[in-house]
Amino acid sequence: MKKQELIDSLKEIVGKENVLSSDMDLALYSYDASLAKGMPDVVVMPASTGEVSKIMSLVHREKIPILGRGSGTNLTGGSIPARGGIVVHFSRMNHILEIDIPNRTVTVEPGVITLDLQTEVLKKGFVYQPDPASQKVSTIGGNVSENSGGPHCLKYGVTSNHVQGLELVLNDGTVIRTGGKSWDNPGYDIKGLFVGCEGTLGLVTKAVLKLERAPEAVKTMLAIYETIEDGANTVSAIIAEGIVPATLEMMDNRVMRAVEETIKVGYPLDAAAVLIIELDGMPEGMAENAEKIMEICKENNVREVRLAKDEAERAILWAGRKGAFGAVGQVRPSYLCCDGTVPRTKLPEVLAKVIEIGERYDLPIGNVFHAGDGNLHPLIMFDERDPDEKERVLKAGTEILKACADAGGTISGEHGVGLEKLRETSFVFCENDLEFERRIKKAFDPDDIINPGKMIPEPVCVQ
Amino acid sequence: MAGFKEIVERLTDIVGREFIKTRPEEIRGYAVDEMIPEAVIFPGNTKEVSGVVKLASRENLAIVPRGSGTKMCLGNPPKRLDLVVCVSRMNHMIDVDTSNLTITVEAGVKFRDIQARLATQEDRCYLPLDDLTTVADEVICSDRSHSGCFLPMDPSHANEATIGGIIAANSSGPRRLLYRLPRDSILGVRMVAPTGEILGSGGKTVKNVSGYDVSKLAVGSMGSLGILCEMTFKLLPLPEKMETLLISFGSFSDTSDFVEGLFETTLLPASVDVMNRRAYSHLRMDGIPDFGQGGYVSAIALEGFEPAVERIRNEISHMAKANGARSVAGIHEEKHPLFWLAISDLEQDLAGKAPGHIRARINYPISEWRGVIESAEIAFSGADLDYTIQTHAGSGICLANLLVDKEDSEGMDRAVITLNSLLGHCLRVGGNLVVERAPAGVKERLKVWGEAGSDFVVMKRVKDQIDPAGVMSPGRFIGGL
Ligand SMILES: Cc1cc2nc3c(=O)[nH]c(=O)nc-3n(C[C@H](O)[C@H](O)[C@H](O)COP(=O)(O)OP(=O)(O)OC[C@H]3O[C@@H](n4cnc5c(N)ncnc54)[C@H](O)[C@@H]3O)c2cc1C
Repeated sequence: MKKQELIDSLKEIVGKENVLSSDMDLALYSYDASLAKGMPDVVVMPASTGEVSKIMSLVHREKIPILGRGSGTNLTGGSIPARGGIVVHFSRMNHILEIDIPNRTVTVEPGVITLDLQTEVLKKGFVYQPDPASQKVSTIGGNVSENSGGPHCLKYGVTSNHVQGLELVLNDGTVIRTGGKSWDNPGYDIKGLFVGCEGTLGLVTKAVLKLERAPEAVKTMLAIYETIEDGANTVSAIIAEGIVPATLEMMDNRVMRAVEETIKVGYPLDAAAVLIIELDGMPEGMAENAEKIMEICKENNVREVRLAKDEAERAILWAGRKGAFGAVGQVRPSYLCCDGTVPRTKLPEVLAKVIEIGERYDLPIGNVFHAGDGNLHPLIMFDERDPDEKERVLKAGTEILKACADAGGTISGEHGVGLEKLRETSFVFCENDLEFERRIKKAFDPDDIINPGKMIPEPVCVQ
Repeated sequence: MAGFKEIVERLTDIVGREFIKTRPEEIRGYAVDEMIPEAVIFPGNTKEVSGVVKLASRENLAIVPRGSGTKMCLGNPPKRLDLVVCVSRMNHMIDVDTSNLTITVEAGVKFRDIQARLATQEDRCYLPLDDLTTVADEVICSDRSHSGCFLPMDPSHANEATIGGIIAANSSGPRRLLYRLPRDSILGVRMVAPTGEILGSGGKTVKNVSGYDVSKLAVGSMGSLGILCEMTFKLLPLPEKMETLLISFGSFSDTSDFVEGLFETTLLPASVDVMNRRAYSHLRMDGIPDFGQGGYVSAIALEGFEPAVERIRNEISHMAKANGARSVAGIHEEKHPLFWLAISDLEQDLAGKAPGHIRARINYPISEWRGVIESAEIAFSGADLDYTIQTHAGSGICLANLLVDKEDSEGMDRAVITLNSLLGHCLRVGGNLVVERAPAGVKERLKVWGEAGSDFVVMKRVKDQIDPAGVMSPGRFIGGL
């Protein structure tokens, strides 16, 4: 099919104002929050499942690559059209369809912004737990596809634990529903397979998400340390005490400095690390647990523990954490965020390794991470215009992921493999594992046109 | 194709002579829906499983995996059956890492052994603490945390079931209200594919988006995609305080008003079960209150920090009385796990008492719980059936046991008609009805897996890709997969 013909057919489906094809428009869809780039042939903005289904039928017939896009904030090249083709931008499918309190669910279109949804349900006293730091911009479609995590996932689990049902458009345009308002549906857990599939199995057109009652009480603390190791040891010790806080987030000195330069939340610039600890739930027992945590912090040489006295103080503590990536972006033009994850007791060891790698490659690395679930985020800061520096960054990134895998962890906790970590999959998978994944991919996408080239490397040829 | 004798020889080479059974009197007990396999084989590790499955797939032998056999009653009768692969010898705890709150075990490890292994003190275990039934040589093992921990799952037949069977059958129980489903606890899996390759997915970290989430696909796959060999789970610290409230009501409307009221609050009980008197009277446990004739019993598990448990207990007792409860009793200390064990064993106890017993598991959107119980009760009593009913209110499951005599063909007919019409009702409210146990002949007249949804098309595609020759549990799963 000629490009113009394709554009005309798409215009027929969604209306001409919802198809973009000028060079300038396409350039805007050629990047995401990763370092990868790639131009689409055309961008289309459907308004309904029916339209998405028609688009899918068209590409099925013509074998044209296609991928979904939310806000393009993923960090691994997930929304880069690696082989050109069509980008389906879900910006118009951004409605909250139903908040169903008796069933504790909310049904949304994929283009809904995570925070908008959270704000809406909170008005009714409920929360949707997964809270990626990008929640102000990221979409539910993107969260589902990347199985996004966030600070509260330590206690409440990742996106996958909160998706009860999905409406999907399959490779041939068929619309199916998997899961729903009932927790149990006989058959394979297709929704479970879809969450975290990085948009490679089909397009999500609706999601039924789980709601929980907003906790009655919240207590937020900031613990300040002279060494990052003391902070990391505190994390393990708290869990060993039988307390699973809602959050255990850590930040090192370099990141604190970046934060103070941009947002100013009063982090102590002479400390090595801070740990944000948040408890939530019923107020009964919370004061006792907070006491125990203070004790544990002291046993691990804490300098000071600050307790947020009210919602305003709590918001300040969090503003620094949520704005950390952005702040780091102000220090150097680019950063590579390594998303390696390790069993939490390995944190001190792996953090030491990260520091060593940074020194060896002469690169500044800031650490801001989900300590409670062992999910590191070393941010390697650099200038993309310097090819030598970029080369070193990529090497250092690979070494960090290797260190995580060797410590019994994995190469991605929440950002996905995408284009970025295809090679590094060999750190955690053998050929059999990958072959099984290829078969799953084939079951959904035999023509390899749905977000092709991502997540699973090509088979290695054995002569 | 080689003759079966020759195949047995080759299987023997893989697992050793004492771990394969072929004599009719030895294998009769391993029949699946009255279909007797040619051989039962007991591999000792994942590699041996791989060897067995490779051979079976080459020779096109149909395999049904098995753990302790507590859930072999599930599913359609297999289309064909040559080998039962029993993982009971694979009972090693590979990595007990309580500091990281994870555990990796082989498929044949019993659920209760896991809980016993995770307990730190004699009096603090999530199940009644027995001696371990297996000696587990752990490869890696970190220090136990001071407080002890547990695997937050609540399967049926908790005393006997193996972890592999629990995951393959996606078994959950009352306390899923607080701890959610097996899919929420599993972190990683190693399995043997229908072609015999060993493959893995996930790992020890609670967050992992490297590759497709094959563990989720494995949960509830009923042995149709391969044999689960090793699994990793996330653990929780053992609750500081655990106790149960038993509340009896004279009528269902009192009971349901109470339950609805409870869900309006912010209290977080671990389970809110409602059962009819008949179900309660079948519980195999001494020392629980009698509560007299008729009515309903609500059983509520409270698990958490002591002050929180105290508050929930007080508020719930208060609400119960305000809603016309006849009486409120508490079950404490070691009796608490015993009570929930009795709940988890109820189905099997009844199956032992009434051969021909039929068990239905109804799922539905949680708001429908009242209507589902009422319709089920009207249907069962209208058909003059002896039944028990129990519902996990707030988490969308209703369990019914129909105590029918195998020889009573009229009773069977009534049960079949009733279940088929009840399925219609469940589908209308967005639920489904799965028949978890029924005599093999009766299964043919029932929709064992309820009605498949629109996602069945991709389930079939997945099965065809993963098991093109159809050697794994052929026909047992939904839609004959
Ligand atoms: C500053 C910053 C902070 C971040 N913090 C976190 C964090 O704390 N935790 C975390 O997990 N991530 C974080 N991220 C990563 C990112 O925000 C998440 O991956 C997010 O879920 C992506 O959402 P999106 O709407 O931008 O999706 P996109 O980037 O547009 O798409 C992501 C993937 O989903 C697919 N996709 C999108 N919509 C659909 C659909 N409807 N159907 C099928 N496929 C679809 C795309 O093809 C792509 O593969 C952060 C990113 C940034 C830039």
